[in-house]
Amino acid sequence: MRNSWLIALREWKERIGTRSFLMLSILGPLTVLVVVYFLFILGGQTKQHWNVLITDPAGIMESKILPKEDASIHYSFADGYIEIKEFEKGKRFQEFDAMLEVNEKILTNKTAFVFFREKPSLQMQTRIQYQCERRLEEVLVKQFTKFSIAEFRKIKQPLTIGFRNVYDPNDESSDLRGWVGLFYGTIIFLFIFLFGMTILRSVSREKSNRIVEVLLGCVNPRQLMLGKIVGIGLAAFLQFAIWCLVIGLGLYFMRETLFPNLLDPSNMNIAQLSMDSQLGQEQFFTSREYNEFVNLVYERVNFTDMTAYFILFFIVGYFFYGTLFAAVGASTGSESDGQQFVLPLIFTLCFALYAGYYSLMNPESSLSTLFHYLPFTSPVVVMVKLAQGYEPGHSYELFISLLILIISSLAVLRLAGRIYSNGILQFGHRVQLKHFFRWMK
Amino acid sequence: MSYSLESNTMLEVQNISKSFHRKVALDDVSLNIHKGEIFGMLGPNGAGKTTLIRIINKIVQPDKGLVRFNGEIMTQNHLSQIGYLPEERGLYRSMTVENHALFLGQLRGLSKADVKLKLNYWLDKFDIQNWRDKRIEELSKGMAQKVQFICTVLHEPQLLILDEPFSGFDPINVELIKQELIEMKISGKTIILSSHNMESVEAICDRVALIHQSKKIMEGRISELQETRKKGEYAVRFRGSMIAFVNALWTGFEIVDKDILGDDKFVVRVKMRGENKFEDLLKVLIGQINIEAAWEVLPSMQEIFIDLVQPKIENNHAQ
Repeated sequence: MRNSWLIALREWKERIGTRSFLMLSILGPLTVLVVVYFLFILGGQTKQHWNVLITDPAGIMESKILPKEDASIHYSFADGYIEIKEFEKGKRFQEFDAMLEVNEKILTNKTAFVFFREKPSLQMQTRIQYQCERRLEEVLVKQFTKFSIAEFRKIKQPLTIGFRNVYDPNDESSDLRGWVGLFYGTIIFLFIFLFGMTILRSVSREKSNRIVEVLLGCVNPRQLMLGKIVGIGLAAFLQFAIWCLVIGLGLYFMRETLFPNLLDPSNMNIAQLSMDSQLGQEQFFTSREYNEFVNLVYERVNFTDMTAYFILFFIVGYFFYGTLFAAVGASTGSESDGQQFVLPLIFTLCFALYAGYYSLMNPESSLSTLFHYLPFTSPVVVMVKLAQGYEPGHSYELFISLLILIISSLAVLRLAGRIYSNGILQFGHRVQLKHFFRWMK
Repeated sequence: MSYSLESNTMLEVQNISKSFHRKVALDDVSLNIHKGEIFGMLGPNGAGKTTLIRIINKIVQPDKGLVRFNGEIMTQNHLSQIGYLPEERGLYRSMTVENHALFLGQLRGLSKADVKLKLNYWLDKFDIQNWRDKRIEELSKGMAQKVQFICTVLHEPQLLILDEPFSGFDPINVELIKQELIEMKISGKTIILSSHNMESVEAICDRVALIHQSKKIMEGRISELQETRKKGEYAVRFRGSMIAFVNALWTGFEIVDKDILGDDKFVVRVKMRGENKFEDLLKVLIGQINIEAAWEVLPSMQEIFIDLVQPKIENNHAQ
C-alpha cells in the first residue's frame, strides 16, 4: 500500500506540474463563469434604457401612461398617425427605439403593435406590454365602470395557475433541474475522459521508455496500476476542487457586484408581494418573466447534496473507467498503438452522456431505469435523477446504483489488473482484440 | 528438503518452467546462487534469461517450480532486499536525479533521509555531485545509465540482479562498474549478472550458468568449466627464429596457431600428441629459442559459449 501511495504521489506531482493542468484549472472554470455570465445577461437586461414613441391619434391614453417615470423606459406621445416608413427613416424619429401604435379600435380589439428597430429583451417586451395594459385598464375603468381605479384594482386579483405533477406536488423536480444534473454528469465524464486519457498515455509512456520494468522490480503490477490511477485521480480531484472554488467564488462575486438585484426578494417571492402598490404589482408582473436560470443557479439546486453524490460517483466512476484506460494503455505495443482501442471507450462515454439526456427527457421510461443501474451510464444518469429528485421513499435506488457501480468497479479492477499485469511487459506487438481475452485469463 | 545445510545459498531456483502461449520460455530450469558470489547468467538472445530474471523478481509468475530467497519461498516482501537493473531500463525524463533516487529509494523501503545520505555517498564516489539537480533529459545515455546503477544499489540490497549492466557504458565506465561490483562482492553482496560481454563475465564472475533454448545446459565455476573444456593446448612466447622453433619440435607436438609479435618475437600454440606433457615441450625448446613465457591455453568464456551454443543451433537448422 505504501508503494502504491508513493507511485500515486509521484503521478500527482507530475500531473499538477504540467502546463495543461494549470491551463485547464484556470480556463475551465472561467469558461463556465463566462457562459453563466452571458446567460444572466441575456435573461435579465433590466438596465437597458428604451425610448418609446406612442402614436395615439384618438387621444385614448391622454398623453400619459405611468404615474411616475420608469427608469428604463421613456415614453413620448405623438397626436397624429405616423407611417412606419416615416418612423423608420425620419430624422426626428431616429432617437426612438420603438413606436407603439395605439389605434382607435384598441378598446374593442385590445390589440396594439410595437415597431422596434432592435428587438427588445423579453423583459422589456413584458414591461411595455404591462405598462400599456395598465393605462388602458385605467381608461376602461373610467369609461365603463363607476369604480375608482384604486377600488377596481382592489377587486382585481390576478389568478396564478400552476401545473403540478400529482407525484411531485411541490414541484421539486423539473426539467431545468435535470439539466443541472446532466451538467454534473457531463463534468464527471469530462474529467473521466481527460484523466482516463492521461492514465492511458502515462502507462504507455512508462512502457515505451521501459521504466516500467524497474518499477515492477519494486511493486507488483496491480499496485503500480492502482497507484497510477489514484495519483492521476487525485490530480483530477484537485482540479475539480479548483473548479468548484473558482466557480463558487465567481458566482458569489457576480451576485454581489455585477448582478446585485438577481436575488432581490421581491423578484423571488411572488406570493408575498403587496398587490396594493403600483410597484408591487409591477414586480409581480415582471417576476413571471424572471430569469429562471438565475433562480436555478442560486436557489433551486441543492448544491451540497449534489456535490456530495457527485464526488462519490465521480470517484467510483473514475475507478471504473480509469482501470479500463490503464488496461488499454498496458496492452499497447507502442505509445500510439492504443488509439484504436480507446475509441470504444470514448463511444461508451458518449453513450453514457446520451443516456443522461435520454433519462432527462424520459425520466419514467424503463430504459432510463436500466441506465440508472448500468455501471457504464449510472454516474451521469444518477446525477440527472438526483437533480430531478427521487420519488418519496425511492432514494434507496441511488444507493443500489452506487453499490452496483462499486461492485462493477472492483470486478473491472480485477479484470483490467490481469490485462495490465500480462500486457505491461509485452513490447513491439500490434495489439489485437484477442490479446485482451488472452491476458484476461 | 532441509535448508539448514544450504545456508550458503542466497537464491535457489527450483525446476522453473514457463510458457507464453505454447512458446516455451523456460523448461525445468534450476540454479543455486551462493551468498557473496558473482554469478553470470549467459545465453544467446531469446534463451530465456530475462524471463528467468523476471520470475526471480516476481514480475512474471512461473507455470511450475519455485524460487527461494535465503531459504524462504520468495515473496513480494523480499523484493526490498533485491536490486534489479533490467536490460531495457528507463527513467522519467522530466525528473531530477535526486527526485528519481528519492522515488525509487523509497519504493525499495528507504526513508527520505536515508536516500539523501546514500545518494550523497554515490554522487561523491562517482564525482558527479553536480548532477543532483539535473533532469534526466539533460543527461547523456551513459550518464543516465550511471544514475540507473546508483538507483539500483542505493538501498544496499543483499542480492543484485543486473541484466546487461555494461551496455551503454564507455570502457572507462565499464571498468568503474566492474570495480564497484567486485567491491560489493567483497562486502558480502550476491550478484547475478546477465551479459553478452564475455570478457567482463570472465573477469568478475565466480560461477556461470548457460541457458540455451529454454534449458540450462551448463553451470559451474569458470575455472572448472575451462578445465573441463580445455583442448590440451599450450602457448609459448619466445624470441628467436620460427624455423628454429619448428625444427626443435618432433612428431609428438602439433602447431595449432601462431601470432607474430615482431621480427623475432612469436606466440605459438602447440597441441600435445600421445602421452607428451608440457614439461616435454619445454625440454625440447630450451636451448633452441629464448622462451619468455609458456602457459596452458584455457578456453575463454566466449569460446566455451560458442562451443556449447553453436552445435545446437546447427542441429536445429539441420532438423
